[in-house]
Amino acid sequence: MDRRTLIFVIAFLVMGTAASGAQKRYDVPIGDSPQRGPANAPVTIVEFLDYQ
Amino acid sequence: MEVSSTLKKVMTSYDGKVRLVIKNVPYGYRQYSVASALAALAAGDQGKYWEMHDLLFARWPQLDPESLVRYARELGLDLERFKQSMDSKRHKDSIERDLKLGDELHVYATPTLFINGRKFVGEMRYREFEKVIEEELKASR
Repeated sequence: MDRRTLIFVIAFLVMGTAASGAQKRYDVPIGDSPQRGPANAPVTIVEFLDYQ
Repeated sequence: MEVSSTLKKVMTSYDGKVRLVIKNVPYGYRQYSVASALAALAAGDQGKYWEMHDLLFARWPQLDPESLVRYARELGLDLERFKQSMDSKRHKDSIERDLKLGDELHVYATPTLFINGRKFVGEMRYREFEKVIEEELKASR
């Protein structure tokens, strides 16, 4: 693979990832952690915090 | 500390559409981190988790043991029960589980948020929440 082809391939991959907006989604188990808002809400925010 | 009041605003403006879940990842080297998390969970045993949660943010950095008991009194909790709850293995285990989960999810800083599984490290402004939540609501329709 020559240098130009390589640059093209890398650019294609980078742009492709950005365009798809594919941010990784983690599976975060809720368990019996404190929660407010409906359990079937379309959006769930899990906050990892330290009170201090 | 800002994130809590921003989140409160988020919960109000997206009432019914957003669920908030708390995982406790107290840093071991901070003096009152674990005790504060235990105080919130212990207040939860008397149905006052979120009241204590808010109070801990509001009164930060006063989180020494005497202050925690004072907050419990302020919330009208049964103090004997509160102290017993704070010592309970159940809550310590729950914090251990959260810490383990945090490790697995590579949570190295607080706050770290997962919005429908999408990870955000550090404090977020209201506008940022708005953007992500709108995206998620659109995707869920």
